[in-house]
Amino acid sequence: MNLDLTWRLLKGGGRKGLLGVWLTLGAVAVSTALLLFAVAANLAFDARAERGAWRNPVPAAGDAVAVEASRFDYVRDQVITVVDLAALRPDAAPPPGLPRFPKPGETWLSPALAELARDLPPAELGDRYPRRAGVLGDEALVYPGELVAVVGHAPDAPAMTAERSDDWIVAKPPVRVASLAGTPSEDAEAYKVLAVIASVLMVVPLLVFGGAAARLTVARRDRRLAALRLVGATPGQVVRMTVAEAVLVALAGALAGAVAFALAVPYLTRIEIQGGAWFAGDLFPGLAVLAGVLVAVPLLVGLSAVAGLRRVVVSPLGVAKRETPPGMRFVRVLALLVVLAVFPMLTQGTSVAIVAVALGLAFLCLNLAGPWVVGLIGRITAGTARGPARLLAGRRLVDDPRSAWRTVSGVALTGFVAGFLGLLSPGAFAVDDRPLQLRVLAPAGQAEQVAGQARERLAAAKVPAVVTVVKRTVVAAPSGPLDTAGMDRARTALAELVPGRTATTEADEGRFGEQILLDVRVGTIVVLSVSFLVAIASAGITAASSVLDRRQTYGLLRLAGTPLEVLDRARRAETLIPLGVMGGGAILVGAFCATPFMIGGISVAGVVTLVVCVVLGFAGVIGAGALSRPLLRSVTADPAPRPD
Amino acid sequence: MNDVLVGRNLTKRFGQTVALDGVDLAVRTAEAVAIMGPSGSGKSTLLHCLAGIMRPDEGEVHLLGQRIDAMGERRRSALRRTRFGFVFQFGQLLPELPAEENVALPLMLGGVSRQRAVRQAREWFAPLGLRGMEARRPGELSGGQAQRVAIARALVARPAVVFADEPTGALDQRTGQDTMRLLVEATRHNDASLIVVTHDSNVAAWCDRTVEVRDGHLVAMSGATA
Ligand SMILES: Nc1ncnc2c1ncn2[C@@H]1O[C@H](COP(=O)(O)OP(=O)(O)OP(=O)(O)O)[C@@H](O)[C@H]1O
Ligand SMILES: [Mg+2]
Repeated sequence: MNLDLTWRLLKGGGRKGLLGVWLTLGAVAVSTALLLFAVAANLAFDARAERGAWRNPVPAAGDAVAVEASRFDYVRDQVITVVDLAALRPDAAPPPGLPRFPKPGETWLSPALAELARDLPPAELGDRYPRRAGVLGDEALVYPGELVAVVGHAPDAPAMTAERSDDWIVAKPPVRVASLAGTPSEDAEAYKVLAVIASVLMVVPLLVFGGAAARLTVARRDRRLAALRLVGATPGQVVRMTVAEAVLVALAGALAGAVAFALAVPYLTRIEIQGGAWFAGDLFPGLAVLAGVLVAVPLLVGLSAVAGLRRVVVSPLGVAKRETPPGMRFVRVLALLVVLAVFPMLTQGTSVAIVAVALGLAFLCLNLAGPWVVGLIGRITAGTARGPARLLAGRRLVDDPRSAWRTVSGVALTGFVAGFLGLLSPGAFAVDDRPLQLRVLAPAGQAEQVAGQARERLAAAKVPAVVTVVKRTVVAAPSGPLDTAGMDRARTALAELVPGRTATTEADEGRFGEQILLDVRVGTIVVLSVSFLVAIASAGITAASSVLDRRQTYGLLRLAGTPLEVLDRARRAETLIPLGVMGGGAILVGAFCATPFMIGGISVAGVVTLVVCVVLGFAGVIGAGALSRPLLRSVTADPAPRPD
Repeated sequence: MNDVLVGRNLTKRFGQTVALDGVDLAVRTAEAVAIMGPSGSGKSTLLHCLAGIMRPDEGEVHLLGQRIDAMGERRRSALRRTRFGFVFQFGQLLPELPAEENVALPLMLGGVSRQRAVRQAREWFAPLGLRGMEARRPGELSGGQAQRVAIARALVARPAVVFADEPTGALDQRTGQDTMRLLVEATRHNDASLIVVTHDSNVAAWCDRTVEVRDGHLVAMSGATA
């Protein structure tokens, strides 16, 4: 292959050609870093699910070696996962993170819980877990800082035999297991599905953008290559040279992106999901995946370059003459409508893969329809423009709606979800005047007896409370305001009141739903941030490459006295109009769809986060566009621009 | 004394190169002047100095008695937009704008409403032989047609002087001559002066007079003298 010629072509582009190369490199780097993030996020949720699996027992088919049960307890508004274990055989293997199987009566606490038990008065936490035998290793924890307690029992202890709630959000009843390997829990699986959806949301605009960036290298050389064709280079030669160049640049970009991602990991681990931050190891995608991405990205860029080149190769004159691109058909919108109509049927199958594919398909169709809509916006903008800047912006949108869509697609796709979730408040389902009462279900026929014990214990702990019995439920209502410390004293006093059960408030039980809503919102903000990053990068690239593409015309316009501000305003409007219409529109539609669900009124925090995110995003997009202003100044400064 | 544009003792250096060396040139109302000379002799530099694109190192430029070379870039830029028109060799039309909007652009930049600007722009199409091309985009025009659109754009704001740097350089002989004839006639018809740089003596023949630049000096003149 003609590597030597390729290298000279790469260098021969001159300073401005080289700038195009840098732009591509930067775009590929951003894409690779974000792609790695999307992949790593999925692997991280897998890792969490695997590490938490031991707490979710699988009933033994044959011989059982142990009995396992779990429940949730609460301290200082945080959740504690309590795992009750009893060995049936002396050689039962311990769960991960424990050096040996816990003996009856022993408790093992996670590091964070052990620390909390040391810091708080025993009557508030420590007394719940007597006879502490040691600290759990990280292998037992879903996330660093998780509060977990493992309590050893004898197999015939009441805690291991009494009935428990079979609602998995509250507890898991005792199960005889063949090993403590377990299986990922229902909520872990739910989070994995959400992670896949978030990845699709991030990756689709990313691929669109990455492909566009690849075509940028080609576009930069469109005319040069068309000229090569005109002097008789074979299509094969042209293709090989350009693709080699694109792949070389992409490889460098991918490496830079991988380094950028590695540098970002310490910050990314701080994003709290499921109530906790991440182990750094969870976010490192592993060498195989890394190698895969480093191979796949340049490959995709190469393919994209080939696709972009087809135009040059098929019709050398097409590029040289810069004809009007063929108009886009309404068919694109039709395809979207068809997919949207079929979408509800597709999702019936609830398998993750099918949902992900369906979602991806919907987005791809949105991607097909997007440019059409942008073109429409452009026609409206140009049609109604009064001043020259808006007229130029509108005409540019009509001329190349795809590049404008690339800039805004991610924001538009995420905007809907963000608008929807921004308004929903995690507390929406739970009104805050829920009674602060601890409730626990007593075994049949023992309610009065349990209530009596509860009174004694609460009195001993100096928690003034009224204990009543409602059917089988013992309800302890504090007779006066109670701070969190008092609440924790009450919880500690009532620990083990009913074997295998914890006394909980209504708010405790609503926590799972609130947490998942909160997490979905965090996820949305992450996805929205990524989308805005893509939009910012793509706005920067589009702006710079449009300046480069039109440097001669801009230069001559400036010579003829056109103020740079007009050109600049046009370039800004070119991004902001579609961004505002499509991104803003999507957010509004999402918010509109959320209104029926807003029981507790608008979530102020949600709206504020959304607004901050959107303002930052818009500012970033404007800033990225403004970055090419010096470029515009420099390309128009030459008093005698010449065609090259 | 009806000189529109006067350049006196214009001198311009680029490092060691002396591109212009004390050039005097005066252009009268509706006069067409051709600047000829070998490559690198300083023709474009002279044009740029006269048009307020470049500031000469020495000398002065006066437009209708007003000194323009000492003005700041902002004012010179406004002056170029309002008082001058430009036709370049190639690539001055915005590819995404239809021809009529390319022509209307200077008017819109000057604050004329879009409707009026486009209406005025259209009036230029028929006289320049561009009937029916109003909605075409530059990529869909031939080189000669594109240059005629550029001529319309240079004249639409009724400038005092039109500057053209090798306006026919990218065209074949015949098209070049036709375009040149249209350029000279249209500027004269609008009482605008024309300063055109060219290599082609046939093209220069359309002008009222020709000046020749050699190594930064005006060396010879033909046709009517100033
Ligand atoms: N920006 C610049 N920097 C340095 N030297 C320059 C610059 N512009 C012009 N020159 C030099 O000044 C001299 C005159 O250049 P100019 O462009 O005026 O020539 P020209 O007569 O227009 O030539 P051509 O017919 O080839 O266009 C040349 O020697 C050129 O190299
Ligand atoms: Mg020249």
